[in-house]
Amino acid sequence: MSQKFHIRLASQRVNTNIAENRRYPKIFTPGETITQQHEFMRGHGTYEDNGELKSSVAGVREQVNNLISVKPLKSRYNGEVGDIVVGRITEVQQKRWKVDTNARLDSILLLSSVNLPGGELRRRSVEDEHMMRQYLQEDDLISAEVQSVHSDGTLSLHTRSLRYGKLGQGVLLKVFPSLIKRSKTHFHNLPVGASVILGNNGFIWICPVINNSEDSVGGFVQNLEEVVPLQERETIGRIRNCIKALAMCKMMLYDTSILYAYEESLKYSIAELLVPEAMIDVAILTQHRLSIIEV
Amino acid sequence: MPIDHKRINGPEDTLPYQLFTKLNRKSLEQKYKELVQDGKRHDSRAPLEHRKIFMKTGVVSQAKGSAYIEVEKTKVMVSVFDPREIPNRQDYSLKGEIYCEFKFAPFSCEKRRLHQLDAEEKQYSQIMKKALEATVCRHEFPNFQVDIYALVLHNDGSALSAAITAAGLALSHAGVPMYDLITSATLGIQKDTILIDPTTIEERICRTPFWKEKEDNEHGLVVLSMLHTHNQVAQFYQSGSISLDKLPHLIETLEKACADTIPVIQQCLVKHVIKTIKKSSNVIEV
Amino acid sequence: MGLSEAEKTYVLHGVEENLRVDGRDREEYRPMELETDVVSHAFGSARLRLANTDVLVAVKIEVDAPFPERPYEGKLEFFVDCSFSSMITWVLNKMKPQMASSPMNSHMASKKMLAKERTIKMISMDIGLPSSSANATPNFEGRGGEVLAAEISNCLSSAYCSSLSFDLTKLCILQGKKCWKLYVDILILECGGNLFDAISIAVKVALRNTQVPRVKCIDMDGNNVEISVCHDMFDCQRLNVENAPVMVTVCKIGDKCIVDPDVAEEQCSVGSVVVAVSGNRFSTVLQTGMGSLHPLTLVDCLKMGHKVGQKLDEAVKEVLKESLRGGDVGFIK
Repeated sequence: MSQKFHIRLASQRVNTNIAENRRYPKIFTPGETITQQHEFMRGHGTYEDNGELKSSVAGVREQVNNLISVKPLKSRYNGEVGDIVVGRITEVQQKRWKVDTNARLDSILLLSSVNLPGGELRRRSVEDEHMMRQYLQEDDLISAEVQSVHSDGTLSLHTRSLRYGKLGQGVLLKVFPSLIKRSKTHFHNLPVGASVILGNNGFIWICPVINNSEDSVGGFVQNLEEVVPLQERETIGRIRNCIKALAMCKMMLYDTSILYAYEESLKYSIAELLVPEAMIDVAILTQHRLSIIEV
Repeated sequence: MPIDHKRINGPEDTLPYQLFTKLNRKSLEQKYKELVQDGKRHDSRAPLEHRKIFMKTGVVSQAKGSAYIEVEKTKVMVSVFDPREIPNRQDYSLKGEIYCEFKFAPFSCEKRRLHQLDAEEKQYSQIMKKALEATVCRHEFPNFQVDIYALVLHNDGSALSAAITAAGLALSHAGVPMYDLITSATLGIQKDTILIDPTTIEERICRTPFWKEKEDNEHGLVVLSMLHTHNQVAQFYQSGSISLDKLPHLIETLEKACADTIPVIQQCLVKHVIKTIKKSSNVIEV
Repeated sequence: MGLSEAEKTYVLHGVEENLRVDGRDREEYRPMELETDVVSHAFGSARLRLANTDVLVAVKIEVDAPFPERPYEGKLEFFVDCSFSSMITWVLNKMKPQMASSPMNSHMASKKMLAKERTIKMISMDIGLPSSSANATPNFEGRGGEVLAAEISNCLSSAYCSSLSFDLTKLCILQGKKCWKLYVDILILECGGNLFDAISIAVKVALRNTQVPRVKCIDMDGNNVEISVCHDMFDCQRLNVENAPVMVTVCKIGDKCIVDPDVAEEQCSVGSVVVAVSGNRFSTVLQTGMGSLHPLTLVDCLKMGHKVGQKLDEAVKEVLKESLRGGDVGFIK
């Protein structure tokens, strides 16, 4: 019997901190004064009190020109225009869907900002409004792009590209949004045989390789009959556990780090990757490999 | 436990005097030997024989549907009330809810029961709900709740089973859409002796293991509810200590017992319909 | 949180192929972390973390009079509290529908709601409890998990009822007069699926960890009984939990059964059977969930639960042996 039960004692807990240089940046706590000079602008995570700029969250300071903000490790997603997000429909309303994107408020997807079946330039009729639930219903997952940010922080999404739309069979993972590295593309067809969408909002979608020739993405049709073959399933499961391992060790997530982690994890079985020791081992090896290329 | 202050309650620490009588001082072996003698139980039933059942519908005129069941001394009354909107609930639920309350009348057991539901009654309510959820077409009344109240007038063993069977009958009497008729049966086991439909005394004997040193000291109670035509187990509950080798056999035995009860329910329902038709035709003639 | 149809299909096919979403096979458990002696005011305590499920169990002991119908036995009672994690769920559940029902034109009202929801989301974030995880268990809806708590405590007391699984006579001090009463308090800190199994293991370990004071002498003066207890802190009895039941939730997904379902798998399941295994026997079997099962499926579930339960029991005992030489660690990571 392989080890089906893994019960450890808390005294044998492993340290998940794998930072190489143990020099931490200064971490501000709420109420702590960041600067007393007046020339700075107030960014996220800060407030002004008697002319002093103070932190309102616990985190590290970030400065862009005159703008000072404090970025907490754990936060809800702060959307920016052009971000790629993965979200779950929470509500179907008139002419729009509400989407949970891990932001402070539910995001909005207007009926007018989706590609309906039958051509891009189709007019939206009243029938379409009645059919909304047939396109997307509660609990469905979508990939989308942030179109605009409203003043109260609500995000407006759009799926006006064949890359975006309803997601089919696969696995959703949730990590801290700050762990997702911003890059040119967030859609990756990994050479190991799986597709990954790294949503800027910390939602990660892993699914079988998407064939671009048949335009299955962007539509609203799902094939529920199709069975994902075992081999792809194994790949997806392994990638899922690798991402979990990297996220546990607070490592940045992007295609290279995931790919390296995948390769380093091959010495373990997929289920073994749930054990903390194995997770840390994979993360350390990945970090090592990443540091080699950097040099 | 919280006490209902609006009610004048009896003293809490009372004991039934039977506890101190000589009958109660019998040794365990004696009790076990008395369980089955010459293939007969103390009420001269065979071990696998169910007690006689009497059922009647429409006993509570103010309820939408009601049923009364008598399994010799065990008497249970069940009433079903009209669907109403689920109270204290804002979100929409696609499926209807079932609310069950299983209550022992204060005078139904040896020990006096209090008016509020105790842990055992709450557990039985939960089991009953589980059993009935499987048979009611809950998608037909979304966002509504059906209330079912079972009151045990006299508990002489297998009260939960009786209540579930009667609740099934009461539901169909109320005209609540159901997938199937539901019947339930209880079984007690002590060592090798299997007793279908145990009485209170038998239940008590089956709850405690006797021979501590021996290997075959299995004991326990099993309750099973079946959906008749679909051949599905709607609810299963076992307590005590029973080995894996025995349980499948016990399940089979209970299945059979459940199937035996079906004709009684069917007859009762048919009778009720015929009676109603006769009544209404009389009215027309007059 | 719900799952989309496609996600459910993916989970279902995975169970069919014996490769679940996280790579486990059907009979495999997620890694667990166990800790004993975490509450110093209790006589015994344990905390178990199974992936996201986190339970804390503490045992308190008091002197009581035994039940007159069972004069030779002590008492054992279980209390389950879901309120901590369900509180947030409850608030969230309560708020969202109001949002929906508030008419769009009453601008003020909806704005107020928005503000409220924002604060709630912030709260849940600050405690470090993702709102989705507390939201995950449908049972927590409505009356704050009360029903679920009752179901768990009933199942536990039924599983510990038989003297073959737990010997209550050891808790008797003086026949018919005095006995020990054990209060087992179970606190659900976080719920990430498979509550029954996690709680049963934690309870077993907490009872093993419990130190029952040793009675030095008993004085009888008429009807008054005086007990004196050993003053030595380290001179105490341990309870025998050799046969204390371990529960296994066998969850039916599609045509196959699995153990240790996570939150997503629990949502895909049509019904499950909770099996309490004590030694090589069943001490309690309880069918839960919505649907019904074919009798043969039920028997299959029982067989699977029996097999897994015994192995799980062995694994728990193995760790218990080790825990007796363990060191101290604070209980919240």
